[in-house]
Amino acid sequence: MSTPAVCAALAVLALVACEAGEPAAGRDSVVVAAAVLAPPGDSLRNPYAGDQKSATEGGKLFGSMNCDGCHGGGAVGFVGPSLSDRRWRYGGSDGRIFESISRGRPKGMPAFGQLLSPEIIWKLVTYLQSLPVPKAVPTQAW
Amino acid sequence: MRPIPALLTLLVLLPGGGVTPASAQPSQDDGRWTMPGKNYASTRYSGLDQLTPANVQRLKPVWNFSTGVLRGHEGQPLVVNNTMYVVTPYPNVLYAFDLTQPDYPLKWKYRPNVDPAALGIACCDAINRGAFFADGKIIYNLLDGHTVAIDAASGREIWNVRIADLSDGETTPMAPLVVRDRVIVGPSGGEFGIYGWAKGLDLATGRLVWTARNAGPDSAMLVKAGVFKPPYETRANMGLSTWEKDTWKTAGAPVWGWLSYDAELDLVYYGVGNPGPWNPEQRAGDNKWSNSVLARRPGDGALVWAYQFTPHDNWDYDSNAEMILADLTVKGRPRKVLVHFDKNGFGYTIDRATGEVLVAEPFVSLNWARRIDLSTGRPVLDSSKFTGASRGNVKYICPSLEGGKSPVSAAAFSPRTSLFYVSTVNLCMDYQAEVKARIRGTPFIGANTPYVAGPGGHMGAFIAWDAAKGQKVWEIKERYPVWSGVVVTAGDVAFYGTLDGWLKAVNARTGQPLWKFKVGSGVVGAPITYRGPDGRQYVAVYAGIGGDWSLISGDLNADDPADVRDPADFIKDLARYTTQGGMVWIFAL
Repeated sequence: MSTPAVCAALAVLALVACEAGEPAAGRDSVVVAAAVLAPPGDSLRNPYAGDQKSATEGGKLFGSMNCDGCHGGGAVGFVGPSLSDRRWRYGGSDGRIFESISRGRPKGMPAFGQLLSPEIIWKLVTYLQSLPVPKAVPTQAW
Repeated sequence: MRPIPALLTLLVLLPGGGVTPASAQPSQDDGRWTMPGKNYASTRYSGLDQLTPANVQRLKPVWNFSTGVLRGHEGQPLVVNNTMYVVTPYPNVLYAFDLTQPDYPLKWKYRPNVDPAALGIACCDAINRGAFFADGKIIYNLLDGHTVAIDAASGREIWNVRIADLSDGETTPMAPLVVRDRVIVGPSGGEFGIYGWAKGLDLATGRLVWTARNAGPDSAMLVKAGVFKPPYETRANMGLSTWEKDTWKTAGAPVWGWLSYDAELDLVYYGVGNPGPWNPEQRAGDNKWSNSVLARRPGDGALVWAYQFTPHDNWDYDSNAEMILADLTVKGRPRKVLVHFDKNGFGYTIDRATGEVLVAEPFVSLNWARRIDLSTGRPVLDSSKFTGASRGNVKYICPSLEGGKSPVSAAAFSPRTSLFYVSTVNLCMDYQAEVKARIRGTPFIGANTPYVAGPGGHMGAFIAWDAAKGQKVWEIKERYPVWSGVVVTAGDVAFYGTLDGWLKAVNARTGQPLWKFKVGSGVVGAPITYRGPDGRQYVAVYAGIGGDWSLISGDLNADDPADVRDPADFIKDLARYTTQGGMVWIFAL
């Protein structure tokens, strides 16, 4: 299946936006919905999507909330996975990233939902979504 | 079993001798390997002598087993009663292999239920440093803050107790030490602002007998009047007064390294890790007893002496490395010493009865201190290498926070050569600290610390060290940091592994390379040697790169399509030679 076809299929199932020209690394196929309906989290929309000021604030929060302690400065990965490679264990839609921060994830991601307001979590999401997609990741050549 | 009296006779006859291993009870049988450091003195020396510089070139793999786990395989197997016991990284499976049968089939395996949340609390990969055999039990820690005792014959769980609190940032990858009826354990969490401790459990039941904090008031540290006699200065509540305000409550000061024991003095020795956070300006004072060695009585945990290697740590120089006990002639006087290769780059030879520093010399290139003042025990510092959030990006500090030697890679001592065999790291770092707030259950770090190869460009070396003089005797440079443990034998062969996946044998007297074999993944575990049921000498080692290298190399994993990273700048090509693995190898002639 071609990449656009995958994107189209996922867009139906999981409401993922696939921009033209986005690398294959941008796929988001973490949840396959039984029948047709996607889980409710996927319908959440980032109210600050694309807002540079929110992304900058989110970047500061990424440090002050100790996210960088696990995911590294610039979210390039440390003991926790990279969040800058546009590859997502638990989904890269607005709502999935929000849920990962708010509810935590079973392999060690703490739940920040009782500590951070939804507005602050959305700014973190905006920051992560603002990070440049690395170009050279899929192939490493020596 | 090699007759000990004969060994001692040999030592007396050796030129330049006068060095004997400290009491090795109860592991005198060199056919076995019952505790992490081989013996209570943690010498990782085996009296087996079938392998020699003359024949080790013929060493061949005879068996190999995949643990099914792809994480840093630190630590070492145990061999007891013709059974090999292997603890995996998280999820901490315990395998028991029957060495009496062809193919070494499993007798049983024990699969504990370990909380996966520990994966986000363990600072530096989900590793385990091994088990201890005592009283018919295999005792080890699960990553999620539990200690278990497993019947060595049947695999049945005898007890399983919670010792640490994940939600406060504590995990438990270290290997316990058992002395008489006491199991001594400690936590990791120097990067989570824990309040570090050691605990003594009852061997029969796992019941908590004592808890000793590594900082705070004397009562919490089990400092008792007339018992605690530190070598350089004594005041009440030093673990309290050397911390700004109440920062001792989030001291860090973890216990994740190797423990030793001297039966004659009845003292357990363990190293304490870094204070938190990494920005030293948030915790003015010496921060005792972080970055220290503590000597405690195993029965009640009472603190007998303590010595701090790096007061007011500015560089994440944990002191969790092993304390190797030897009887050594220093400056013409026979001394019962403890030898320690600190992350800070100094090799220390310390009187293990009192804590007095006898020798302290650099074993790698370093520039944060000029020397150790033996009259005070304190380092003479270079103020240009002080760090802190107000100082911005402090450039080129050596060694890096990986240490001149990693505490992970336990060194070995041969009484035949009087030398210590040490895996070393030659990296330097920049250190940009920032103010951090502690949020319980999240990292409490606060520094960006990129690395670069140290002087010479090689990133590691395997060295032989004379601890009586504080001198390097020979050195084998390695391209990458050397991060494996070491074993040295009565055949005068030393074994170590490399990050690019070689197990190597060298002549313990000369440092001449003798043999190597590619084991498939970088070695961060410690080789051991034992006598098989057939009377032959075997060497075993884990292959499986990880630990810090799973964090800082950038791209060693291949099992998660959602986590793909660029290689780290300082070690770009490591992934050309290795990826994660999880193998147990056994070699023989």
